[in-house]
Amino acid sequence: MKNGIGRIATATFTYGFLGLMAFLSIFPFIWMVLGASNSSIDIIKGRILPGEAFTANVGKFFTTVNVPLVFWNSAKVAIFATVLTLAVSSLAGYGFEMFRSRHRERVYRAMLLTLMIPFAALMIPLFIMMGKAGLINTHIAVVLPSIGSAFVIFYFRQSTKAFPSELRDAAKVDGLKEWQIFLFIYVPVMRSTYAAAFIIVFMTAWNNYLWPLIVLQSNETKTITLVISSLASAYYPDYGVVMVGTILATLPTLAVFFFMQRQFVQGMLGSVK
Amino acid sequence: MSELQLSDVRKSYGGFEVIKGVDLDIRSGEFVVFVGPSGCGKSTLLRMIAGLEDITSGDLTIDDVLMNDVDPSKRGIAMVFQSYALYPHMTVRENMGFALRFAGVPKAEIEKRVSEAAGILELGPLLDRKPKQLSGGQRQRVAIGRAIVRHPKIFLFDEPLSNLDAELRVHMRIEIARLHKQLAATIIYVTHDQVEAMTLADKIVVMRGGVVEQVGSPLDLYDDPANLFVAGFIGSPKMNFLKGVIEAADGRTYARLPDYGDARIPVNARAAPETRVTIGIRPEHFNDQGSASLDLTIDMLEHLGGETFAYARHGNGELVVIETKNGRGLKAGERIAARFDPACALVFDADGKRLR
Repeated sequence: MKNGIGRIATATFTYGFLGLMAFLSIFPFIWMVLGASNSSIDIIKGRILPGEAFTANVGKFFTTVNVPLVFWNSAKVAIFATVLTLAVSSLAGYGFEMFRSRHRERVYRAMLLTLMIPFAALMIPLFIMMGKAGLINTHIAVVLPSIGSAFVIFYFRQSTKAFPSELRDAAKVDGLKEWQIFLFIYVPVMRSTYAAAFIIVFMTAWNNYLWPLIVLQSNETKTITLVISSLASAYYPDYGVVMVGTILATLPTLAVFFFMQRQFVQGMLGSVK
Repeated sequence: MSELQLSDVRKSYGGFEVIKGVDLDIRSGEFVVFVGPSGCGKSTLLRMIAGLEDITSGDLTIDDVLMNDVDPSKRGIAMVFQSYALYPHMTVRENMGFALRFAGVPKAEIEKRVSEAAGILELGPLLDRKPKQLSGGQRQRVAIGRAIVRHPKIFLFDEPLSNLDAELRVHMRIEIARLHKQLAATIIYVTHDQVEAMTLADKIVVMRGGVVEQVGSPLDLYDDPANLFVAGFIGSPKMNFLKGVIEAADGRTYARLPDYGDARIPVNARAAPETRVTIGIRPEHFNDQGSASLDLTIDMLEHLGGETFAYARHGNGELVVIETKNGRGLKAGERIAARFDPACALVFDADGKRLR
């Protein structure tokens, strides 16, 4: 048994370590909020106290950027990408798990191998494809490559293993066709899996930077990540304004997470209860 | 109520045959139980009847209509699953009315049928609950209710009581028997629990390795098993099997237990002397009035209050289980002469077939 001093030392170390990790996690957010209230010069000087330039920074951001259009572009891309990815990937995951065929596992493994291909290697062929399809500078070009996500298909297949096959049998006896079983039984039963996947896919789509940077070329089509990046890479970047933009860009993903965190945790643990 | 026929029904997965030609007639209103050890094909056969597994060859007819390629929902069957298979996102009422809704039955009719079934199964107060808010027994009743509302020709039960605790299992067993009487329905019931089979069935189908070993009423199978497997499978504790040999004496044929002195069992069937056979004696057939006896030493005793199971061993290593009402005075290590009536013993040939 440990003595009192040993216990206190262990607890101090544990909480100290956890506190440090928590601080490191939350520091970018604190820095972002404090930065938004300071002028660019104060931020460069390293001021980490709340300043008085918040209103001015917000004003500058709204005059520099067409905020409604940029947010509409981001929302359009993120929502379409998320809905289509969930629809296609959950169908694929369901199919991989439910239907037996001789080559099922080979096809599945081949699909998983695509996870190892870096996006940088796909970028140029994808750009050429989109160019040939006449989709450059459209939001469809941003959404299309993300729809068939090997990772999300993998996630849905693994989760579908917990879906009781007897529910499918019962639905067949009740007279449902396969698509009806998917829509009326599988989707509602697996809603926690969908919620977790929604958060992951939405955040990825909302924060997507590299591919939109390549295919979206006019200001009218640009998303929030591209706009913030262009503000930060200006000849005289105004970091206070950049921080305001970053706060606004973070809000939708935070809101999605806060509203769905319970389902997210359930979905990550295993969705069928 | 409906009749069902299986004619040379087979099922293969790739080149592996799991159901090897089953012929079976099930009469209207019968309670038929499929029993057998794990992997014997009883659940697969039930799923083939339900339409959840394809039939590789052979015919399945219900009321003389070929059903091999008919959708499960159009066969006039309803199925109760081992894990209940209730839709977790629906209330009890929605679960019970779901199939009817998809069949296009008018709302008022659905409500009427759900209420009727809820009345039969005492589910009235639970209709607006979700499955996760119900106990195991209540879930099972909902699963049965879901089957009842469809007014099926045939009810299929796939090990419906396996997930319940012992007390609830007995209760639900009685409920199912009562339901069978009340609905006068044709029921096909799969279980590996022979107590369920013996207590519920009008007719038991004993299966092994995809083959029907014997079909008959529970007591027929108990009293008159066709082979060693059925004799061993029906009855608890299991029938004792001892090595024997055929001998002829006084113009009659007997099976003798060479290791146990004079014990002889008359055999009516023809068998050549010195043929090796197996003699089966049920534990409950040992009694003090028996004319034959086995000299044994008690290994272990199980006192159940009303009766005692004595696990006794012969010098040749054979273990014999004896059931007795007067076993309280017995002690482990004690030598006994276990008496039995030779007329109750059964004789099986070297292939396990019954010699009658």
